[in-house]
Amino acid sequence: MFRLVAGRMLSSIGTLLFVGLALFLLTRSGPGSPARIVLGADATQQQIAQFEESHGLDRPVLVQYGSWLADVVLRGDFGKSFVTGRDVAVEISASLPVTLSIVLLAFLIALVFGLAIGIAAALNPGGVFDRLARLGAVVGLSIPAFWLGIILIRFIAVDLRLLPPGGYAPLSAGLMVHVQTILMPAVSLAVYYIAVLARMTQASLQEALRGDYVRTARAMGLPSWKVVAYALVNALPPVINLAALSFGYMFGWALIIEQVFNVPGLSRALLNAISQRDFLLLQGIVFLFTVIFVLANLIADLVNRTLDPRQRSTA
Amino acid sequence: MNHWSQALRAVDWTGWLGAAFVVLMLGSAVFAPFIAPFDPIEVRLEDRLAAPDAVHWLGTDQAGRDVFSRVIYGARASLTVGIGAVVIGALIGVSAGLFAAYKGGLGDQLVMRIIDGIAAIPLLVWAIAIVGILGVGPVQIGPVALPNEAKIVLLVGVLFSPVFGRVTYAVAQRVVRADFVKARLLQGARHRDIVLGDILPNCLSPIIVQATLLVAIGIVIEASVSFVGLGVQPPSPSWGTMLSDARSAIYSGEWWLPVFPGLAISLTVVGFNLLGDAVRDLFDPRSEARTLVA
Amino acid sequence: MSTVGTSPSATSSPLLAIEGLRVGFRAAGGGVIEAVRGVDFTVAPGEAVGIVGESGSGKSLSMLAVMRLLGSTAGITGGRITFDGRDLTALGEAEMRRLRGRDLAMVFQDPQSSLNPALTIGRQIADVVRAHRGVGQTEARRVAAEALERVGIRDAGRRLDAYPHEFSGGMRQRALIAMAIACRPRLLIADEPTTALDVTVQAQIVDLIADLRRDLGLAVVFISHNLQLVAEIVDRVVVMYGGKVVEDGPVETIERAARHPYTRLLRSCVPRLDGPVGPLATIEGTPPRLGRMPAGCPFEPRCPCREALCATEMPPLVAAEAHRLACWRPQ
Repeated sequence: MFRLVAGRMLSSIGTLLFVGLALFLLTRSGPGSPARIVLGADATQQQIAQFEESHGLDRPVLVQYGSWLADVVLRGDFGKSFVTGRDVAVEISASLPVTLSIVLLAFLIALVFGLAIGIAAALNPGGVFDRLARLGAVVGLSIPAFWLGIILIRFIAVDLRLLPPGGYAPLSAGLMVHVQTILMPAVSLAVYYIAVLARMTQASLQEALRGDYVRTARAMGLPSWKVVAYALVNALPPVINLAALSFGYMFGWALIIEQVFNVPGLSRALLNAISQRDFLLLQGIVFLFTVIFVLANLIADLVNRTLDPRQRSTA
Repeated sequence: MNHWSQALRAVDWTGWLGAAFVVLMLGSAVFAPFIAPFDPIEVRLEDRLAAPDAVHWLGTDQAGRDVFSRVIYGARASLTVGIGAVVIGALIGVSAGLFAAYKGGLGDQLVMRIIDGIAAIPLLVWAIAIVGILGVGPVQIGPVALPNEAKIVLLVGVLFSPVFGRVTYAVAQRVVRADFVKARLLQGARHRDIVLGDILPNCLSPIIVQATLLVAIGIVIEASVSFVGLGVQPPSPSWGTMLSDARSAIYSGEWWLPVFPGLAISLTVVGFNLLGDAVRDLFDPRSEARTLVA
Repeated sequence: MSTVGTSPSATSSPLLAIEGLRVGFRAAGGGVIEAVRGVDFTVAPGEAVGIVGESGSGKSLSMLAVMRLLGSTAGITGGRITFDGRDLTALGEAEMRRLRGRDLAMVFQDPQSSLNPALTIGRQIADVVRAHRGVGQTEARRVAAEALERVGIRDAGRRLDAYPHEFSGGMRQRALIAMAIACRPRLLIADEPTTALDVTVQAQIVDLIADLRRDLGLAVVFISHNLQLVAEIVDRVVVMYGGKVVEDGPVETIERAARHPYTRLLRSCVPRLDGPVGPLATIEGTPPRLGRMPAGCPFEPRCPCREALCATEMPPLVAAEAHRLACWRPQ
């Protein structure tokens, strides 16, 4: 077990190193030196050279990458923003909580509703929930989250005035106010994943319920909730795996959703970094997203292996 | 042939509905100049923000452009990116998967690790970041200037390739070990003939299923990237930029501006999803769960 | 508990009585396709009965009907099933659930898939115990260990924490039987319990069931396609074909003086212990398809002794002492 986790973590770290380098090369390959942007169009050649030297931009890319990586790993230091001069880590930590609370709430919603609908549908094939789940899966998978966000703003915020149409209040402003600002973004983000998880849960549980061991459990007179539980232990691992993957994907779509709701999250920080050619900030944000995504993949993979006793003992 | 007509009869109405949506959207994209009643780009401020009526079926936008014509032309951007990305992803992924499965050994390991690496990249974030770094200008290849979407197509294609690589690899690996392949080798068949003639045909059905479902995801990605201003560049019509422009209409009440481009995306995505499900049921009825997620 | 070993006659108050049982599948067109077409037989307390027939003969389906485990596609369309004086077909699902595992239990063909792969053996047996007795986890585990020991698994206390995949095929079948007998039921239904196992293990499982029957006073219904295997441990054999009982009698009679042509063919076939097709591979033709049952004797198309009447009219099941037979041309 330990060897398995260690092995998977090592390969994830390898992936991150490789992907980080790719990212570094990319940020250096684009047109327009950050010096030009920061110093303005009429900066002299000498000023630009000086800027590049002081920010280490004149060194070979691999050396730059090495020192950046060392700083990140050893000191959690992502470097300083070219534009504001503030620590990238500080810039990120200002907007990360916003994105994180939206994604976490969306994940929770997706998990609860996805599982509930999927289980209800699997237990009553042909019933109301089954039909609803099938229809919902088609609809939910096909509505782009950002469009749903626009529609929600119109109906819930503008017409019904139930929730604010955008903006953000941190948790420190009170739980209710906080949730009010992130509820619509989270729901917009969650709908697709409710459909995905419900569909997976339904299919997986339906298959498990057909298993011989379910018939055995019934033949031994186990109560029906216990029979369902027997099927669920076998049906859930692929669902949890998919949920973990979904968590990673959600951060990507959160970028778009944040734009719709005008939320000061990582999306705004990233788009600002792009427009200002703030390489280190951009790099830091994208690297953070990649770490989260790789971690979600790693967890999904480990969940798959640890929940199945057959794989657990052979590992 | 009889086998096929029998199989097609097994496709239920949802599959046909999906196929109908897809054909409708493909038709719009291809025949846009014949279908669209107005120029999708020309600004006519005197017609601005007209509600849907007999002339402008879906109304006009802030610049007086006909929404219906823009939606029809928008299908071009969506489908080009969606289908283009899938074609590129399939080319890369399928060749990688075939190579790894057939070669085995170190080459196999190397290729599959690279595929794992690409799969570990959060697609949308990187698409946004890379276009952001490279800029939204056109791509100059010799005398040809490709629009910004070309970058998206290539990028999304590369990031789609692991899906194709993995399904191809999974099937191809099984086929490579099959006795008939060994027999073909003993008969002295050429490697190229075995890979393209024996192994590839066996991988085709899962590839087609994934391709259909991925087009849907590609379309949503194009719309999303365009929505944040990094995809199709104005004034070219695209559903994503139309929705971006429609954001102010949320408050002022021109409902047709956000509704119709969004509906167009949804219908197209529904179409490819239903078609993908039907194709999967046709080829592989046992795999019920959709594991493709983005 | 009751008399053991000898073959009680069907008239002494039976533990299980099946009368005119019919089981049908809902057909796609809306009709019902009957797969069990009026089956009668009884099992006395402590008696071991073998049900023999090819796949599709209705033997497993009849016993699933007794357990009321037919699922959503099939159902009991007629007849009565009396267990210990109670009509099982009239019981509510909650009452039926309390009977299953406590008074009558069933083990199935494939021990590989019949155990929950995600839970330990001990947990699965203990869950059965707790479902029927209001005992705590510790007590349930103790009972589970006892049951495992009884089915001949050594070091049972430690084996409780093993997962099914850590057991061999034979041990898994033993564990399933342990689940079935943990609450001391009075009737054990074993549906081809040895078919999926190695030849050497098959004999051990058959011996185990015989031992349990003797030690616990269990009545046993042993479903098999293999007459020879069944004959080793049962008192009586019921031969089924095409959803009907065609012959029923004491095992000695069936072995030496069977009168139905089908039974005689079954007996004369060289027994093969290792294939699901079994000895019937040498009887020419195939059993009738569901929904295409002939009007007369279902075996008529394959019968070497058929005559005109056989094709048009189903012979009645006629009892003579302990032997019953449905044939126009008995041998």
